[in-house]
Amino acid sequence: METVKSRNNLVVSYLTVGGVIIIAMMVFGVLMLLTQGGVIDLAPAAFYQFLTIHGTGMVGAAALAAAGVMAYFLSQYVQLSQKVMRVNLALFLTGVVMVIIGVFSFKYASAWTFLYPLPQLSANAWGTIGALLYLFGMLILGAGFLLFYLDSGRAIMKKYGSLAKGLGWDVIAGKKSEDDAPPKAVIASTMVTIVNVTALTAGSAVLIMNVINVINPAFTVDPLLAKNLTYAFGHIFANSIIYMAVIAVYEILPRYANRPWKANRVFLIAWTMSTVFTLLIYTHHLLMDSVMPTWTLILGQALSYANGLPVLVVTAYGALMVVYKSGIKWDMASSLLYLSMFGWVVGVVPAIVDATIVVNHVMHNTKWVPGHFHMYMALGACTMFFGFMYYLAKEDSDIKENAMNRIAFVAFALAIVSLSGSFLVSGALSTPRRWATHIPEWMGPAVFGAVAGVFAMLAVTVFVIHFIRYINKRRHNVHLEKTSHDEKPA
Amino acid sequence: MLVQTIAWITSLFFMILVVAVFAVVAWKSRERKDYAPIKKKWYKARTFYGAALIALMLVLTIYTLRELPYNQPVYGAGNEPTVVDVQAVQFGWNISENEFKVGEPVEFHVTSKDVNHGFGIYDEEMNMIAQTQAMPDYTNKVFITFDEPGTYEILCLEYCGLAHHLMTADITVTE
Repeated sequence: METVKSRNNLVVSYLTVGGVIIIAMMVFGVLMLLTQGGVIDLAPAAFYQFLTIHGTGMVGAAALAAAGVMAYFLSQYVQLSQKVMRVNLALFLTGVVMVIIGVFSFKYASAWTFLYPLPQLSANAWGTIGALLYLFGMLILGAGFLLFYLDSGRAIMKKYGSLAKGLGWDVIAGKKSEDDAPPKAVIASTMVTIVNVTALTAGSAVLIMNVINVINPAFTVDPLLAKNLTYAFGHIFANSIIYMAVIAVYEILPRYANRPWKANRVFLIAWTMSTVFTLLIYTHHLLMDSVMPTWTLILGQALSYANGLPVLVVTAYGALMVVYKSGIKWDMASSLLYLSMFGWVVGVVPAIVDATIVVNHVMHNTKWVPGHFHMYMALGACTMFFGFMYYLAKEDSDIKENAMNRIAFVAFALAIVSLSGSFLVSGALSTPRRWATHIPEWMGPAVFGAVAGVFAMLAVTVFVIHFIRYINKRRHNVHLEKTSHDEKPA
Repeated sequence: MLVQTIAWITSLFFMILVVAVFAVVAWKSRERKDYAPIKKKWYKARTFYGAALIALMLVLTIYTLRELPYNQPVYGAGNEPTVVDVQAVQFGWNISENEFKVGEPVEFHVTSKDVNHGFGIYDEEMNMIAQTQAMPDYTNKVFITFDEPGTYEILCLEYCGLAHHLMTADITVTE
């Protein structure tokens, strides 16, 4: 029988798996920076394997944790299938194991971008088995997520009639009053459902193309088509993480501030804008492919700018209004959620700058790029679900937040700002990204980033340990409840 | 001024602004005031803020899109560009010509024999001055006129395999 507790078990599993993988991936991040900084001497083969696992693992783990947040809140309004959530988790773990074996046992290192035809043309660095393990692993992992979003789409349509109504188009059109607008969790989930079904379809297509090419190199694909599909998949899927995780901010921050934060027409329009822009702006990854139709690249810049508007004018602004002179109680959850809004907005700035074609001309594929995405992914998206983890722990058990947690919060904020800042400095110095070695002029920021990365990793370890401690307490509580229940006379 | 420097200063300015806004709101959160007047005041402010932001973005979009690196420059009579064929291979560069004069317009026609690579041109201070993707089956172009003499370096800017970071070449520009 489906109960709130059993459904939360799955949410807790998503977050725990996500959190633990993120810590492991941070180790690889630090090792890469130490190598680039000349502190340790890692073979290029190992460096690029770490690069591959770090990028793939971070996005996968963060997406899983964020899907947990989405499922937790969405299931308060619609009936999600527990079976599908379990299948998604199982396929995720299967995919992760295949990717790990492919990378570490078979030396596969195409980076997460697996840009066709690199999986097949590795200059003898890896073979068919490694490539197939990675590509099939990604395909299986993607299939799990696709099932998850098909189910969320089904559940939303069942309750609200259509995805358009899930986005509140009837309210935007004036057919329904703002008071009848769908809850924010539903709106965001509808957006993510739409964009991620698209992303995962594009991703599956290009993964299968690569698989066939690896097995039979006589089968070829247009490399520009493959590149478009890869970035349509990667950009949208990675971007969706923040749109899932932000549900935690919408749902939790107003409770702490004791203020309402309802969806109104402007909010609905903003989310429709985000839906459209997120689908279209992946072309900003192809600004240095002048063979692309120029209008797609101009659109890539213009819509990347416009995509800043929903967060800058609606979501972040709304969060600031909710907090401003509210007498809000600051604990780990509320602090992390507020920090996450800061991380998102601050990261949007260098991202928009990078999406400017004339800037991209000299900054594309420099470390400027990890500079901005570590802000809105680590300090934005991940911080949202870390905040959610503390919220859940507090709601669901009597676990206390100790001083160590507060120290970890400060360390985490400073460390990620330092790490991202060091990447931005590297980018301004034209340091290329994804390079196993650095010239001496580029090494300083890498070493600084590595030290910051160590602190960030320790801080996240504290967050995750707190969550795991909560799971133990929670299990204990469930057990006690069950016992007392059993003892009651019929 | 280098584009990188402008990008860095612009980003820093707006990022500091963001820090200031979040810090002030966090500081002010210690007070507790009725939400209705706050909502009224700041929703009104949002109209201006939103409009200003859209205006700023429009101006910046139009300004930065005036000249795109994709456009072939208009060459004067007798000042025809030197066309240079560039082919990337794992892990090196086949460049048809690598010595140029200051002021000579150059067009790099860049492609790849195998996988995706990136063709990045770095000056002597190791600042990137231009780039394009090197793709199999396609030819991307870089239009450039070198202003300074010196040895410029080509770096691979798209991950292409285990010797990606060794994929460099030199070009020389003389007076």
